[in-house]
Amino acid sequence: MTPRPGWLARNWASLAAIAAMAGVWEILSLIYTAEAAPGEPMVPGWEIVFGRTLLSLADYWGGGLGVPSVAEGAPPSYTAAVLAIISNSFDTIVRLYAGLAVGAVAGTVLGLAVSWSPWPRRVVDSPLQFLRTLPLLAMVPLFQLWFGTEFIGKVAFVAYGIGVIFFAGVANAVRNVPQIFIDNARTFGASRATLYRTVILPAILPELRATMLLALGTGWGAVLGAEYLGAQSGLGYMIVYSEQFAYLDRMFFVALLFVLYASVSYAIFDRLSRRWLDWTAKSGRAVAG
Amino acid sequence: MGDVKIEASALSRSYRRADGAEVKALSAVDLRIEAGQFVCLVGPSGCGKTTLLQIIAGLVPPTGGSMVVNGQRVTGPGPSRGMVFQKDSVFPWMRVAANVEYGLSCRGVPKAERQAAAAHYLERVGLSHVAGAWPRELSGGMLKRVAVATVFANGADVLLLDEPFGALDYVTKRQLHDVLLTLWAEGEAGRRRTVMFVTHDVDEAMILADRIVVMRAGQIVDDLPVAADRPRTTDALLLPEMVRIKHILLTHLGLEAAR
Ligand SMILES: Nc1ncnc2c1ncn2[C@@H]1O[C@H](COP(=O)(O)OP(=O)(O)OP(=O)(O)O)[C@@H](O)[C@H]1O
Ligand SMILES: [Mg+2]
Repeated sequence: MTPRPGWLARNWASLAAIAAMAGVWEILSLIYTAEAAPGEPMVPGWEIVFGRTLLSLADYWGGGLGVPSVAEGAPPSYTAAVLAIISNSFDTIVRLYAGLAVGAVAGTVLGLAVSWSPWPRRVVDSPLQFLRTLPLLAMVPLFQLWFGTEFIGKVAFVAYGIGVIFFAGVANAVRNVPQIFIDNARTFGASRATLYRTVILPAILPELRATMLLALGTGWGAVLGAEYLGAQSGLGYMIVYSEQFAYLDRMFFVALLFVLYASVSYAIFDRLSRRWLDWTAKSGRAVAG
Repeated sequence: MGDVKIEASALSRSYRRADGAEVKALSAVDLRIEAGQFVCLVGPSGCGKTTLLQIIAGLVPPTGGSMVVNGQRVTGPGPSRGMVFQKDSVFPWMRVAANVEYGLSCRGVPKAERQAAAAHYLERVGLSHVAGAWPRELSGGMLKRVAVATVFANGADVLLLDEPFGALDYVTKRQLHDVLLTLWAEGEAGRRRTVMFVTHDVDEAMILADRIVVMRAGQIVDDLPVAADRPRTTDALLLPEMVRIKHILLTHLGLEAAR
């Protein structure tokens, strides 16, 4: 075994690509100077984004912690802007992960339950196909009417979107577990519950990991969708508010935050799941290097 | 003559294939096997050997007749019958030692006892050094040895081995024969376990078996006792009686004309 190369050595190519994209954006901002509204460039350069734009986000700070809000007449400050970013990000992330947890657990439990015996599977199969084809974002208003525009409504919506993905993913993964492992466990006298714990669950983990990555993407989309319509806080709310005033730079800034959070959540999950999947050949580092 | 351990009466099993054709995997099989016998089952591919083992194991219900093990009709799988499958069945998500302990942990055997049993049987099959490895890190022959250790550790007194060494090289195969025979001979409390061993290999059957059951097209067509002393050396296989048995087997397999 050779020692693993340092972080920089492994990731310099991705870093260079990101830097190149940032460069292209800057060049575009210099060439294309059209404005969405007077003083609001279509392509805001970095000096605007991390200067004026960042400062303007103080608008979204509701006050408290000894930092007065703009609405109270205080001048915009970087402290208020950062607090605004933190508090709105926090709201969105809590909604996302609450929905993700509820949806993943409910979807997995239901998926395992229907595979317990052939009957429920047959019953559930076609309604499931139906639910899967319903466009998720079209359901936002429905969920608002059912569960309200408060916390519960958004969490329920995210949980629904993720639950459907998990349910389908788990039910399908269970069907793909090789019969030989099930037979093997049964000849050792494994009870049904033991069979699920020691064979079915570990055998579906690799597919569950793929399901989780898909669900993370859907989850970020779903929570934003829920916030576009009738939230008073959160990143989705910031985008909608900015759009009403054609604050293109602010929308861009929030989109960047989004990219950041989504990448971080992918990376964290990837790290964690690798540990459970030590037994699969793929997670071995021999080929990947 | 010991007690009857396995008894099949008019046992049959048919399958309906996806194209609608009916396949008779077993038809009207009668078979009695005494406790402690080492029985080899030989026959051409597709003659129903695996199906017979699956019925004894309780994994597949018969479509006719009955299967009785230990005086009780088989209604499902259970820890009294251990099976080494034709295909690899070692759980890839458990380390080798955990695989060997699996049957014991299903029955709630305390951890220390489980670990001791796993260590013991891993040593017997010569795999102590990979106890902590993942199955993907093992060769095909090593995986088979893990499967053998697992069924022995579980303590079943009926062992069903479905071509366990079919894909192995000659040397490994011979080594595993010795391991298997030793483990068989030292069954708990001096009682040998009862073994059903499926093979395509005539020499393998003659080295291992007390009795060779020949199947063809879902039926038992011959049943030959093998009386030679154990351990069976290369010379033992050349005894006139053994050569006679070999000719009979080769004839059944269509490799020699009947004489
Ligand atoms: N699940 C199944 N569905 C349909 N047909 C089956 C099924 N299992 C076995 N069969 C058929 O039953 C017959 C006996 O199969 P079996 O697996 O018992 O043969 P075998 O003697 O073990 O063969 P081999 O030596 O190749 O392993 C074959 O014709 C096979 O096609
Ligand atoms: Mg077979």
